[in-house]
Amino acid sequence: MRVYILKRLLQIIPTILGITFVVFVMMRSIPGDPVVSLLGDAYTEENAIKARQDYGLDKPVLLQYVIWLGKLVQGDWGTSILSGRPVLKDVLVRLPVTLELVVLSMAVALAIAIPAAIIGALRQNTWADYTATSVAMVGVSVPEFFLGVLLLLLFSIGMGGFLPSSGWVYLPGTCQTVVCAASLWGNTQHVLMPALALGVGRAALLTRLLRASMLEVIRTEYVTTARAKGLSERPVVLKHALKNALIPTVTVMGLQVGFLIGGAIVVETLFAMPGLGTFGIDAIIARDYQQVQGFALVTALTFVFINLIVDLTYTFLDPRIRYS
Amino acid sequence: MRTRRALTGLWFAVACVAGLPLLTHAQEPKRGGTLRVAYGNEIANLDFYTAPGYELNWVAMNIGCGLLSITPDGKFVPSAAESWQITPDGLLYTFKLRKDVVFHDGTPLDAAAVKFSIDRIMDPATRSSMRTFYESVHSVETLDPQTVQIRLKQPYAFMLHMLAAYRMGFVVLSPTATQKYSQQDRQQGKPEAVVGCGPFRLVEWVKGSHLVMDRFDKYFEPGLPYLSRVTIRVIKDPVTQLAAFKAGEVDFIPDFSPDHLDTLKAQNPRAQIMTGKETTPMVAMMKVTVAKDGKPMSTDRAPHPIFADIRVRKAIGCYGIDRKEIVKIAFKGRATPWLGIIPPGTTDTVDVTHMCPYDPARAKALLAEAGYGPQKPLTFELMTNTEKSVFSVITTVIKEQMARIGVTANIRLTDKVSWMNTATQDGAFDMYVEDLASQLTLDLNGFLSMSTAAWNSARHTDTKVDDYYARYAREMDPGKRKVIAKEFQEFSADKLYWNTISGSPFYSVAQPWMKGYVYNAEIKVLYGRVWLER
Repeated sequence: MRVYILKRLLQIIPTILGITFVVFVMMRSIPGDPVVSLLGDAYTEENAIKARQDYGLDKPVLLQYVIWLGKLVQGDWGTSILSGRPVLKDVLVRLPVTLELVVLSMAVALAIAIPAAIIGALRQNTWADYTATSVAMVGVSVPEFFLGVLLLLLFSIGMGGFLPSSGWVYLPGTCQTVVCAASLWGNTQHVLMPALALGVGRAALLTRLLRASMLEVIRTEYVTTARAKGLSERPVVLKHALKNALIPTVTVMGLQVGFLIGGAIVVETLFAMPGLGTFGIDAIIARDYQQVQGFALVTALTFVFINLIVDLTYTFLDPRIRYS
Repeated sequence: MRTRRALTGLWFAVACVAGLPLLTHAQEPKRGGTLRVAYGNEIANLDFYTAPGYELNWVAMNIGCGLLSITPDGKFVPSAAESWQITPDGLLYTFKLRKDVVFHDGTPLDAAAVKFSIDRIMDPATRSSMRTFYESVHSVETLDPQTVQIRLKQPYAFMLHMLAAYRMGFVVLSPTATQKYSQQDRQQGKPEAVVGCGPFRLVEWVKGSHLVMDRFDKYFEPGLPYLSRVTIRVIKDPVTQLAAFKAGEVDFIPDFSPDHLDTLKAQNPRAQIMTGKETTPMVAMMKVTVAKDGKPMSTDRAPHPIFADIRVRKAIGCYGIDRKEIVKIAFKGRATPWLGIIPPGTTDTVDVTHMCPYDPARAKALLAEAGYGPQKPLTFELMTNTEKSVFSVITTVIKEQMARIGVTANIRLTDKVSWMNTATQDGAFDMYVEDLASQLTLDLNGFLSMSTAAWNSARHTDTKVDDYYARYAREMDPGKRKVIAKEFQEFSADKLYWNTISGSPFYSVAQPWMKGYVYNAEIKVLYGRVWLER
């Protein structure tokens, strides 16, 4: 197991190099120049040339990448061209927000998907199954931003501010700023709508996947054996069938993290949350190369680590799986 | 006539609404409380002299203080300077400073600090966006700690306007803090580096999250500010802004989207909706020249293949565009159709819109004269960006209007930065739609339209434009200045190097409990006299 984890951790290096290099080259290939955003009305050719020199943007792209990488190895993620703020510091302020959103969205997805899939599988081709399948179809079809707006209209505007429409209250202990609101209840209120908006689409997908998987498992011999031994339906379903049916679902869950981070860009913008999603999109719009690199790096790292955790959970779900 | 009457009515209504806070100010202001503000755009950084964007200006004018300020009716009022004198030749400005002004770091604001700040702006190494406005300044001299003189190379009629309100106005920096901390410290918003003498001191800025300013207890205006704290959040999506306002999560939105105004009114009947003179132009800018050698910004220019021909410019930008229809569709009638190089609310503006009546037949005739017609149809690219939804609506209407005169306009939608690159770096475009900077005076528009300006995105090379700006800015007689302004605006409408479609209305919205705010469009967003009745 230890060797396996080490191998996986080593695999992160080429993955990160590949991702950051592609992002680096892509950002410099698209039209736009961060110096224009930086100088604004003070833009003159003379000022622009000086600013490009100051930020090393006049050097060849490959050399710029090597310089960035060299600094990264020393723990320097660079500084934002536009705000002059250290990228790592801003990433660390924003990471807890997005991580919480992603984790809770997945929790929302599972909370909907597991019961819906079990009902759908156990009562196949009944109205309950059709309902679960139809709702799943609708869920997959509704984009996050649309569902988010609906939630805003319902819970924030319609119900007179029952849930806050925007902003963020940190979980106690996660806030890294001087002025900061932190409370469990406030955090719950703020994260509920974004997590729903982001989680429902994933729930729909997982429901369909888990239902199909459950249908397969409940027809296997060991489930029949469990029933023949006189076990009640609950342990048969939850302990024997669901646990095994979860393996492909867990794999997809890991891959869905990428979609969740992508979806977080939309949801965080809509709910004006100070997370990584808004950080990334602002950086891309402003062509703030250093911030975009930071965003790509932290996104890739999160994705890789979550998938590593997912792989390790296989051993819990199926003890026969061994990593060597 | 009907339009004029409607406009008069609108201005009256606006004046009433804008005046409301002044009336309510007669109530006894309450001290304390936190004003929660929502901006639609992110603050770029907190280095006052170099950061772009109105959002930074609106912060800088509350953290910082200047020599003087300006009221919505254009009256200059003292700030850190208690009085000033101008010599008859207009070359020497003497400012007498108050003795009780201190910076947030405890150091006094004196003549040396004023000199330090102006010298800093004028230093090319600072790369200040304000530098261009200080071209006429020869030197700054300190006579004694409370007296500072600004000597000009030539008369500049808008010196006080510039000091009071061009962009954020002249904001005095603490020399001690500025010398102690780096530009990067200021950009990052380190509170000890961002030190002004305004009513609020910076507590914290977390980009993408919040900016917090607290009352500065040693502020020189007795009893001010009333608020204990101002927090600024960025809410980009207008629907979320609506929701936050309806839910009472924000007290004030200085720049609210006109598209959502009706919804906001319906949801919040007691909300204060403030608007006023249109000082921002909505333009359909046509490119006049291109680089001969293909290198952007090259001084070697060649005529633009389409719009270098004045007949085509007039056919498309003058007679082919129905400004009234654009205003009706894109602004729901809330803007003024306009042609002049400065918008309807700017000082010395002249309505020259009659020079370009909508006349498709005349447009077609001019195009035919220029060689375009069914045999050789004209096609051009109409560029805009995604910053505001109204831009897309306007380009769509223009496309439709072009089709009526047999011209194809292909819309190109880009993001804001790509547009800025194209506009400022001599990029490839035929026409773009944008609303440019707010214009307090005609003089201020020079940095967007002089032949030498980086923002001269039409890339016209007509030095007559520069001469007009120079004559206008140096003329100290207001009457004679008006004559030059009129002549210039007629010249501009005739040449169409600059093609305005309409004014672009600006709206601020506030909760009914926010009191004491004096609306002054983008020009001044000041929280010093604001108080909360709740």
